[in-house]
Amino acid sequence: MANAASGMAVDDECKLKFLELKAKRTHRFIIYKIDDKKKMVVVEKVGEPALNYEDFAASLPTNECRYAIFDYDFVTEENCQKSKIFFVAWSPDTARVRSKMIYASSKERFKRELDGIQVELQATDPTEVGFDVIQGRAN
Amino acid sequence: MYGGDEVSAIVIDVGSYSCKAGYAGDDTPKCVFPSVVGSIEQTGDTDEAKPEKEADSGSDPKNGSKPMDVDKAKTKRKFYLGQELEFRREHMEVISPLKDGTVIDWEVVDNIWNHAFRRRLLINPEEHPMLIAEPSTNSGQQREKAAELMFEKYKVPALFLAKNAVLTSFASGRATSLVVDCGGGSTVVSAVHDGYVLQKSAATSPIGGEFLTDCMMKSLESKGVVIRPKYSFKKKEVRPGDYKVVDLDFPNTTDSYRLYCMRAIASDIKESVCRVPDTPFDEVAYANVPTTSYELPDGQTIEVGADRFKIPDILFNPYLSQTIPGIDGFGDSTSIRGLPRMVLDSVNRCDVDIRKELLSNILLSGGLSSILQIKERLEKEVLEESPQNARVKVLASGSSMERRFSVWIGGSILASLGSFQQMWFSKAEYEEHGVSYIQRKCP
Ligand SMILES: Nc1ncnc2c1ncn2[C@@H]1O[C@H](COP(=O)(O)OP(=O)(O)OP(=O)(O)O)[C@@H](O)[C@H]1O
Ligand SMILES: [Mg+2]
Repeated sequence: MANAASGMAVDDECKLKFLELKAKRTHRFIIYKIDDKKKMVVVEKVGEPALNYEDFAASLPTNECRYAIFDYDFVTEENCQKSKIFFVAWSPDTARVRSKMIYASSKERFKRELDGIQVELQATDPTEVGFDVIQGRAN
Repeated sequence: MYGGDEVSAIVIDVGSYSCKAGYAGDDTPKCVFPSVVGSIEQTGDTDEAKPEKEADSGSDPKNGSKPMDVDKAKTKRKFYLGQELEFRREHMEVISPLKDGTVIDWEVVDNIWNHAFRRRLLINPEEHPMLIAEPSTNSGQQREKAAELMFEKYKVPALFLAKNAVLTSFASGRATSLVVDCGGGSTVVSAVHDGYVLQKSAATSPIGGEFLTDCMMKSLESKGVVIRPKYSFKKKEVRPGDYKVVDLDFPNTTDSYRLYCMRAIASDIKESVCRVPDTPFDEVAYANVPTTSYELPDGQTIEVGADRFKIPDILFNPYLSQTIPGIDGFGDSTSIRGLPRMVLDSVNRCDVDIRKELLSNILLSGGLSSILQIKERLEKEVLEESPQNARVKVLASGSSMERRFSVWIGGSILASLGSFQQMWFSKAEYEEHGVSYIQRKCP
């Protein structure tokens, strides 16, 4: 059902990279952006598994919006190796209003393409995507 | 699907205080004018005013289409909008088409739309898709009526209805937030999650900017201040540089017009001197606060003291209004809650999983939200009542234009996105599926 949504399309590559991250664990993170000309969400960057959370956070531009997926590995209190897939809607306050609007109104439709997101975060400043936040939300 | 993004869409937000209209893609609305109109009943069969009426008013009886059950009583009324309201006219009443956020007089709304399109924006509505902002709690019936009027009467090529709170939330870059809209006629709190208003969370209070204006006016009156409407006096120069105010008498001025003019002045006083106090207002503690002076149109200078803080505190403590002579209590005063309480109740009516996120994304918007210190006070009081570990954050744009026009700005951007063009409810779809299809296209 339609909503007050932007109607933005999603490039197939977005889904593909997400499936690779989920099933083959070949990426630590994926950064997505909206391509204004193509009017669709496209993959901007993928991070290899060896990268860590700081590398991920550093890949989010300070003045522009993005969507991102981060695969978070952690060890539970019972000493169990676990992982959780985070979806981050990055919308810094300093981004242009138009861009914030596009990302916010395209999010719902985009997220539906990525089956298997476990935790979702919406962040407008770096403190909202701090490592402590990720840790806190993982359990 | 509507397939023409060459012409820009028109975005219109008819609030209870003002109507904002303009082109999609612009930063601010091209025109903003009062949502109230002047109305003079045309008596007998004098057709004197008729030719003019057909030219400039929205109600066009010849237009083959079935008229909306606009006004069954069929008393002919002549309407005055925008700047025309600034001139006093004999027997002219001032009326509002909205009551508690819902339309009670479609003929007036029709005239407001018409005024915006043809007199202010100078466009032909048949050529532009229209995005209309609507209250979060708009009923299905109201939405269908708006759609019917737009397609049948204005013959728009495409239409979209978007909820106020969703537009404000998107414009701040958030698909999830708690939107607090302190407008003219009311204050509305609603949770938006993934771009949808959570209906169970939406709460409305009658304490908006206009109620505070009334409180300011009554409070000043109770202290002996006489607010003279601009039309009711003349300044006469008795000696060079020395003026004397002479009262003018216009017995055929309606009470509603007189009140409208006085409220405009009281509203300006409110906007110039008020500031939300840091802690709940206390009559004793504020008895000796320094006053601020304000010069009325007739030249009198008044001093406003405790009222500078007391009036805005009504938003937080509604019962305070009952200490102002001449302000009617609310029917059931216990059901009227202060702003922090509304916010907390609204959050608590949502799923446990999203409460934290809502509390850290409280968005302040609406004209009244430009009042000083409202953000700080709201954040402080919500924090005090929130669970220990909750992160409470109240956000408001630094620009008062953006706060006041956030709904319109959200609509402006949405309707101008290339990818949005497929979302419109088109004329063809209207003709094929009927008006109720609006509920599917714009849920
Ligand atoms: N600086 C200010 N201080 C206090 N009040 C203000 C200020 N600026 C505007 N207002 C008040 O804001 C109100 C208008 O707000 P707004 O334009 O958001 O209303 P609206 O959208 O027409 O109404 P609604 O959304 O309630 O139907 C008026 O009552 C006006 O006096
Ligand atoms: Mg409004």
